[in-house]
Amino acid sequence: MTRLDDEILMRRVDGELGQTEAAAVDAAAEADPTIAARIAALRRTRTAAAEAFPAATDARDRDLARMIAASRRPSLFEGIGGALAEAFAPRRAMIWGGLATAAFVGGLALGPLLGGRSEGLRVEGGALADAGLVRVLDRRLNADGTDGAGRSVGLTFRDGEGRWCRTFRAAEAGVAGLACRRDDGWAMQVLAPLAPSSGDIRMAGSDTPEAVLDVVDATIAGETLGAADEAQARNGGWRQQSAGVSRQP
Amino acid sequence: MDEFQTGLVELLPRLRRFARVLRPHDADAQDLVQQTVERALASRSKFRDGTRLDSWTFTVMRRIAIDEGRSILRWGRVVAAEDDATVRVADPSQADENLRADALAARDAIHALPDDQRHAVALVLVEGLSYAEAAKVLGVPAGTLTSRLVRGRQSLIQTLAEQGVTG
Repeated sequence: MTRLDDEILMRRVDGELGQTEAAAVDAAAEADPTIAARIAALRRTRTAAAEAFPAATDARDRDLARMIAASRRPSLFEGIGGALAEAFAPRRAMIWGGLATAAFVGGLALGPLLGGRSEGLRVEGGALADAGLVRVLDRRLNADGTDGAGRSVGLTFRDGEGRWCRTFRAAEAGVAGLACRRDDGWAMQVLAPLAPSSGDIRMAGSDTPEAVLDVVDATIAGETLGAADEAQARNGGWRQQSAGVSRQP
Repeated sequence: MDEFQTGLVELLPRLRRFARVLRPHDADAQDLVQQTVERALASRSKFRDGTRLDSWTFTVMRRIAIDEGRSILRWGRVVAAEDDATVRVADPSQADENLRADALAARDAIHALPDDQRHAVALVLVEGLSYAEAAKVLGVPAGTLTSRLVRGRQSLIQTLAEQGVTG
């Protein structure tokens, strides 16, 4: 039986477990009063949070409701423009899945795929060849924010084989992606278009497109690094973890 | 009003509630709700059918809160902080007297959490979003959301236990 840590008990309380797992947790709780007590404590945080912040009507909501009612619908033109932008820049779509297409990517410039933007990211056989972006992935920390060309790194973590992976954004090229350390370089795992930045909803610096997050979810082993660990990993030259998980000769 | 407008009006109490988790002071929370509604209206051509309006609007609010948070923090160092007691007394809509002491303790404990944990707690425990929806709103991987939520809850349990709040 796996150890019942707070996470699995919390998932039980929040209805995030499948039937079988939930039944296993319930059986364990019946047999062990400490587990039952922990579940009760976790459940109390749910009620306490809900009671601490009741949804209440507020007199000021009437003014806001008037403002909402008085707002105009987007014009037909805006609607069409939005639909076209959507068709040509599908925010959710993944435009490059490394594993699926590595076979034919040699030297592909992505610019033309990205709606005629001036600069694309070169990908050669899956290895990242854009010197500027390689430098950013090698050296830059999340806390450094964006460089002069709008490039920044987001999440840093290890994959199941102990290799370092980092998400990045390249605003000028209009893409975000995930690259993982391979040999002495970075291998692209996924590249996806950024949402148009001219809109009213600006992407916050930390935001990552969903298509990239999906690949992060599938790749990550453990947790993303905090600032101190990130700096340490960089200063260590992004070496692959040698203990346990790697395949040593 | 069309469906989008009606949906937004119906969301107002929840938006205000989410804002009050993000911003302890009522005036700040009100500003945040106002800005969120304005930006949601201005951006409605970007709202796609099939998206949940609550998640979409919470995302708008969360982004504004992050941007604002940075400047509020900067201002906080320049402008002397208001006396906490004064703010509470001067606050017309907090309705603190209607909340039980336990609920007040829980509110203070949630406000004391680090931002990332507080946001996870707000979306899952207060707003009732699923882990997957909450992760999307926060723009983080599902595993990150889960670990923030666990840590936030563990410290809530500890704080409330220390204060003798039994729920």
